[in-house]
Amino acid sequence: MKLFLEKMADIVETVGDFALMVFKGFRYMLTHFRTGDTLIQMDRIGVGSIPIVFLASIFAGLDMALQFEVVMAPYGARALLGKVVTTSIIRDMGPVLASLVMLARVTAGISSELGMMNATQQIDALRVMGVDPLDRLVAPRIFAGIVMMPILSISGDFLALLAGMGISTAIGHVPAPLFWSGVRDALTAQNLTNAFLKPVFFGFILTSIGCFYGIRSSGGAYGVGRSVTKAVVAAAIWILVANFLLSKLLINIWGLS
Amino acid sequence: MIQFESVSLGYGDKVVVSDINIAVPEGKTMVILGDSGSGKSTLLKGVLGILHPMSGRITVDGDSVGDLDEKDILLYRQRIGMVFQEGALFDSLTVGENVGFWLWEHTDWPDDRIEERVRTLLRFVKLEDVIDKRPEALSGGMKRRVAIARAMAPQDPKVMLYDEPTTGLDPFTSRSICDLIRQVQAEFRVMSLVVTHDLHDAFRVGDLFSFIHDSKVILTGDRKTIEESKDPFIRTFLST
Repeated sequence: MKLFLEKMADIVETVGDFALMVFKGFRYMLTHFRTGDTLIQMDRIGVGSIPIVFLASIFAGLDMALQFEVVMAPYGARALLGKVVTTSIIRDMGPVLASLVMLARVTAGISSELGMMNATQQIDALRVMGVDPLDRLVAPRIFAGIVMMPILSISGDFLALLAGMGISTAIGHVPAPLFWSGVRDALTAQNLTNAFLKPVFFGFILTSIGCFYGIRSSGGAYGVGRSVTKAVVAAAIWILVANFLLSKLLINIWGLS
Repeated sequence: MIQFESVSLGYGDKVVVSDINIAVPEGKTMVILGDSGSGKSTLLKGVLGILHPMSGRITVDGDSVGDLDEKDILLYRQRIGMVFQEGALFDSLTVGENVGFWLWEHTDWPDDRIEERVRTLLRFVKLEDVIDKRPEALSGGMKRRVAIARAMAPQDPKVMLYDEPTTGLDPFTSRSICDLIRQVQAEFRVMSLVVTHDLHDAFRVGDLFSFIHDSKVILTGDRKTIEESKDPFIRTFLST
């Protein structure tokens, strides 16, 4: 019983610390925005992730079109390929895939970088020089994640659709104009809200969890490794949980269309 | 004056040092000596306000460090120069950016004025030629020198803190770092607190000495007091 209570107290303390970090991070974004540091992070988190996200999106688009073509062809429903592929990609597949691909790069990168800064007393040095690490290190990264993730995800969605169109045309013999007509049908307000809103939340999850575990890291190289593992696992789980919750929320708001 | 009045410090429930009573007068250097894990560096964290006293009071120039709120502690720390054990230079910045960091953060000086100040400080530590290098390209001794230059970036730091400034350095480099600490002391008349376990280095830089053993201060005084002490721990320390 004592162990259970201690575990619960740890969880409450961790959640409280995380909430405080996020609150202060957002406060710094509003009151003391660091343009230079934020642009550097937008470059590292966003621009640096372009190749991996685009590559993953292209193959996801190819695969989805291929799989749907196989399933829909016997029913003579190839004309709907554009709509089905678009709906799948922009509502769910695109944002989740882009986030999970970026997880390895962004969350692991942030937590290991901040963890090493902690282990080598660089974070203490910041504090000593009168600079709050949440201001200098955390706020720019979270802001960069929130802004860059939708841009990357939506660009990736577009490439996935192009790749899907290629497969549909080459293998399914669906004329490109018919495919794009399906794409246009699928670009509803509800689908577009999914496409934009989910990556905003996922960008926040990727960066904030990376920062949280990195800045709390302790115990040298072993501690940094443990923090990176914790950060990646936690971010992966929270992306999937948030995806489900956002899907449910948006369906409740927009209805089953 | 830096003053510890019946101070106990620790992490969580664990007390690391207790009932500490020491005072560093204006313009003097006090060296905290003791074996590894005795809590020497914990005292520096107390002065910096990173750790709050579990009991007692730490005052620096009349400010009670534990009573400062979040905003005031950031301002307070701007008056303190801290040299960390391995230098703790920001590895994403160049040497020049490291040294000028405080000035970019806390002043509205134009870039050329900051660069001038950075060059002056690097000249002082005899490292002006590495201004554009990254910390990874520097030796251990050079990192400590840059760290000292960075700690002095505020125009008038009142207090300098050194955490094991010569650990891991060869004797020649250690000596040059000690000379630099003396030079900072002589030219800027700051109060300094140096933590070390190296007695030779301690005698090179210190005016006053304080021994910590079993989480308590067992003796404070000048070199003569230390050398004449009959305390078995200090005798052992002196003989090694």
